Amino acid sequence: MTILTFTLIMLLAAYAAGLLGSLTGLGGGVVVIPVLTLCFGIDFHYAVGAALVASIATSSGSGSAYVKEGITNIRLGMFLEIATSIGAVLGAAVAIYLNNSVIAIIFGCVLILTGSMQFVKKEDHSGVKGSETARRLKLFGSWPQPDGTKQDYELRNVAGGFSVMTIAGMLSGILGIGSGVLKVIAMDNLMKVPFKVSTTTSNFMIGVTACASAVVYLQRGNIVPSIAFPVMIGVLGGALTGARLLKYLNVSLLRKIFAFAVFAVAANMIYMGFTGGFEH
Amino acid sequence: MKHDLQQIIGNTLRWGVTIACTIAAIGGIIYLVRHGGEPMPDYTTFDYAKASAETDYTTLDGIWHGVLGGSGRSMIQMGVIALLLTPITRVVLSLFDFLQERDWLYSAITAVVLAIIISNSIGGF
Repeated sequence: MTILTFTLIMLLAAYAAGLLGSLTGLGGGVVVIPVLTLCFGIDFHYAVGAALVASIATSSGSGSAYVKEGITNIRLGMFLEIATSIGAVLGAAVAIYLNNSVIAIIFGCVLILTGSMQFVKKEDHSGVKGSETARRLKLFGSWPQPDGTKQDYELRNVAGGFSVMTIAGMLSGILGIGSGVLKVIAMDNLMKVPFKVSTTTSNFMIGVTACASAVVYLQRGNIVPSIAFPVMIGVLGGALTGARLLKYLNVSLLRKIFAFAVFAVAANMIYMGFTGGFEH
Repeated sequence: MKHDLQQIIGNTLRWGVTIACTIAAIGGIIYLVRHGGEPMPDYTTFDYAKASAETDYTTLDGIWHGVLGGSGRSMIQMGVIALLLTPITRVVLSLFDFLQERDWLYSAITAVVLAIIISNSIGGF
């Protein structure tokens, strides 16, 4: 295969990854890794570098709109970024000692968790009584409603949220993906942040978390120009199209269909991980 | 004040990504024109020693020299660095804003995040 052919195929695949990633809320990295490793037989250590680039591009590209609308809780994001960036540094340090099979199995497990979460009913928390720690940290906020008014909210279990966020950061440092599923578990299930606020704040944090490990991956040579170029351009294009489509599409059916695709890829990853299929 | 910060952060993210992609796109086109017809490099196995020895793509110094020498690949890496700087700039802006609001708690929290990223990028490997 020539470099030109690879670049063109990768541009299309990355565009699709960005589009699906933004429509389903999973981020671009989740799709980029299987495309690179399963379709092109590329080593996971290059794929993770590419996924980091994809994660930062989607987070910054789509995050700008939500921040402007005032849905993102910037204080909450900043505070939890301490946890995710420490996790990311640890993850990037551990990653040196992991071979392709181990990374594939971890990735498969995160995918299963991600797919399952698509079927969990989202309940919107109302009248949550906030904790004293959260009050001291000034984490309470308000977010705009469709009718133009602002709804105040409180939150709790700061320690629990912080711990899960550290694990989310570690997984991000090992896999390069945003691990949005763990971020939402931490904010939505433990801290009882309103769903819309927790998804946008999670997306906002992914950029900084990915950055904390990407600065190391770049110097290690995991991020190579011939892969980074089509991934960056394609994923961003796809994410921008997705953000536009999201206003007109009902994505709940798409998310369920996509969840099954995620399970299939997860099974493949774990099977190949255990049988040594990724050790070239 | 709070509203201003949201606008500034939103714009920083948008502009950062646009600039990063433009740099990478120019580099990518130069790279394709020069090397598009060559076979794909072998990415099936990753070797830490070999990969980090490619200093034209892994060190700030090397990338800068590459860009000055007109290397498309170094320019793509420059685009990647611009992309990495986008969220970091966002954190720096938040720090200034918290300082201006005399919110010392959040100034400290933001400074910690910044310190983690910077120390990790200097620590390198």
